Amino acid sequence: MSLSTHNLSVGYHDKAIVKQVDLTIPEGRIIALLGPNGCGKSTLLKAMARILSPMEGQVHWQGKNLHSIASKKLAQQLALLPQTQPIPEGIKVKDLVAYGRSPYTGFWGRINKDDQVIIDKMMEETGITELADQLVSELSGGQRQRVWLAMTLAQDTPYLLLDEPTTYMDLSHQVELMHLLRKLNLQGKTIITVLHDINQAARYCDHLIVMKEGEIITQGSPESVLTQTMLKNVFSLDAQIHQDPIAKTPMCVVE
Amino acid sequence: MISIRLPFVGQCLALLLLLFICSWISLFSWSVITITPMDALHALYDMNAESIAQHIVHDLRLPRVLVGIMVGANLAAAGVIMQGLTQNPLASPSVLGINAGAALGMATVSSIAPWFGLLGTSVAAIIGGGIAWAFVMLLGSAWRGGNEHGRLVLAGVAISALCAALTKAVIIIAEDQAAGVLTWLAGSLADARWQTFDSFWPVCLIGLLGAMLIAPTLNLLQLGDDNARNLGVSLMWVKLGGSFLVLLLVGSAISSVGAIGFVGLLVPHMARMLAGQDHRKFLPIAMMLGACLVVLSDTVSRAIIYPAETPAGAILALIGAPFFIYLVRKRTL
Amino acid sequence: MATRSLPILLLALLGLLVANLMFGAVSIPFKSIFEGFQVGNANYFTVHEYRFPRAILAMLVGAMMALAGALVQGVIRNPLASPDVLGVSHGAGLAAVFYMTFFPDADIRWLPAVALIGSLIAALTLWWLCGSHSSTIKLAITGVALAALYASCIDFLMLVKPLEINNALLWLTGSLWGRGWNQLSMLLPWLLLIPFALWLAKPLNLIHLGDDSAISLGIKANKLRLASLAIAVGLTASCVAICGPIGFLGLVAPHLTRKLVGGRHQILLPSTMLVGAILLLLADLVARTIDPPIELPAGIMTAIIGAPYFLWLLLRTK
Repeated sequence: MSLSTHNLSVGYHDKAIVKQVDLTIPEGRIIALLGPNGCGKSTLLKAMARILSPMEGQVHWQGKNLHSIASKKLAQQLALLPQTQPIPEGIKVKDLVAYGRSPYTGFWGRINKDDQVIIDKMMEETGITELADQLVSELSGGQRQRVWLAMTLAQDTPYLLLDEPTTYMDLSHQVELMHLLRKLNLQGKTIITVLHDINQAARYCDHLIVMKEGEIITQGSPESVLTQTMLKNVFSLDAQIHQDPIAKTPMCVVE
Repeated sequence: MISIRLPFVGQCLALLLLLFICSWISLFSWSVITITPMDALHALYDMNAESIAQHIVHDLRLPRVLVGIMVGANLAAAGVIMQGLTQNPLASPSVLGINAGAALGMATVSSIAPWFGLLGTSVAAIIGGGIAWAFVMLLGSAWRGGNEHGRLVLAGVAISALCAALTKAVIIIAEDQAAGVLTWLAGSLADARWQTFDSFWPVCLIGLLGAMLIAPTLNLLQLGDDNARNLGVSLMWVKLGGSFLVLLLVGSAISSVGAIGFVGLLVPHMARMLAGQDHRKFLPIAMMLGACLVVLSDTVSRAIIYPAETPAGAILALIGAPFFIYLVRKRTL
Repeated sequence: MATRSLPILLLALLGLLVANLMFGAVSIPFKSIFEGFQVGNANYFTVHEYRFPRAILAMLVGAMMALAGALVQGVIRNPLASPDVLGVSHGAGLAAVFYMTFFPDADIRWLPAVALIGSLIAALTLWWLCGSHSSTIKLAITGVALAALYASCIDFLMLVKPLEINNALLWLTGSLWGRGWNQLSMLLPWLLLIPFALWLAKPLNLIHLGDDSAISLGIKANKLRLASLAIAVGLTASCVAICGPIGFLGLVAPHLTRKLVGGRHQILLPSTMLVGAILLLLADLVARTIDPPIELPAGIMTAIIGAPYFLWLLLRTK
């Protein structure tokens, strides 16, 4: 019941992309937002992270309007990893990760021992400890993505919002990321992520939300959501549903 | 966009008439010694040697107007060629650093080696402008047919700033005082005499004829570098030849009257509105318009704080800079 | 890196300060400088009344302009941005010249306030022309075009109502000519802006990560942008009111500093002030000593260093 939207419409330049959505995020799960390009999944995520202001309706955090809560306080509750990030110049990896602690630090941004412990831990979890002293601008796309992830994790919030976090990553790092998300989930975090790989979502997430043209079509467990008719209706795909031989989750195979 | 659809010949005649009227007004107006409009005409074909007024017209005003006409035509033609070569609506001698480079060349030569005289400074202006232009084209990555308009302009602005700073430094150090800098940098027709005219017109004529010859090729460049090459245009020679013409036109104008700016930016756009996109037509129109504009602003420059003069270049900068902003806003960069 | 750079920068600053006191139309030996501060000494006028306040002023103005540049570059994530490239400096200069031309008897102490109005108008004009979502290059071109417009207006005012030439050059290119204790005291109240600027260091770091991340980390992106631009405009206006639009300093100093100490604003902002001070002291020293007793405007020197640097940045900008 912590994060919910009520009759929410958001968009850009007076054009609503997400239309009158009512959604309650189930707590303590890994939730995937799925849908074809332009369906509004990223826009919905940004609205829940208060990046975009609603054109209509509200987003609630613990029953209160998101935009009425003090920025810094909310930053200790919700963290967002945007889809694309600028490449900051002259910033070292360890500095960037440390920026994730800024909702907790004073005006000069001094890092104390507790902060440092969290920073080190997150860098280790994301496998970037050995990159600590490199400049962010000198990293590869996949490395940079992990650095930003570490920064977002260092924010240490109960809710994590990720916008296509696997972009630029090679397959092994994608798998590592999904395992990491599960580990964080088991520590009690709720994770909402936009994904474009349906099978990845079905395998690693507990709850799928499928969107099309700004509206939520269906949601629920992978088994209940992933059906032939849904794939046909939403993605215009002819596909069969099989069981993943290892994880026993449903997976789709395109005909 | 207003387009006046007179036939081409009609447009030319109308502009010639306009040019004549502007020149005539410039010959007699704002003089300390009264000159009547008829004095101005008499001085042209039937000079009365007794009349001081007619002497002023013949010895001072007439060369000034003629030089003004040539400078205007030169700068406008240079602007047309530059916009054609770079396919960049903002290209012009002042924006892309040629003015500043030429001024630096002249300032350097006239302060370090004044014994070269007028020819020396003209050559220095052409060389200085050429170096600046080459730098701008290379740094703005326009030579390779890149169409990054904004980058080219910013490179031009930076080169201009550098050249202007160096020019000021050279003049201040050389003259032991800084008084001449302002007028000199702004460009003024006040010192144009028959002597200026005599050394200016041959170069001007060659340059303008060359510009007319290159006009058909500029039409083809509008199709893009690849298509132009396809149609048998030798890009390298056109670009080199065009650049040389630009330097000749701008260098001779600047060495005669100083760095007058924005004519080359303003006029080609006005000419396009009148005559359309065909370079063979709008190039001559642009030359006449440029001549009118310079003569007119020279007249205005005498009027503003009469009896003292302000440089015509300062007036043109006041009109030109807002136009520049308008162009930046209109185009997608 | 930062810990190594700072002492070196401080040392360089001190060295330049001493050099500025020693050299000029008349050289004063190192030993005599300190005697020059005593009333009645032969060098009292040169050192205490002339060179010392001018050097201090160069340091402050350099520091403030560099800080303004760092603030602007910090919030609009545009490597080509700085108050002078965006036309804010020349807007301030135009307002100042306008004030002096048409109200020649008015109190000169109002000059910074007048310049502030001019630079605010310049900033708002740019905002109006470009909006908030312009490309790097378009913003820079519009700024440059506006700067050219203001410069030609200044030019025009000067030609219509001629000033003494050194004064005129000051308003066209920026110079420390004839500046002394009076101007220094005019600048002092504006130093209060510096702590406010430093206070923005932490949020500036975060806005560097993009608006989305910054908001998610609890920063109010638009408020921060407004605050930093306002401070930058104030810093620029006060400097321009005193020394004219000294070009490229606000552009170059933050870039150089970022190379030296990295991009964390807690270190970047103070260091860029040091670098700015060093650059302007150096520019003024060279401008005064290149061909004494003739003085070049310091703005010419900063342009000679700054314009090529700008070109280099332009080449790197994608």
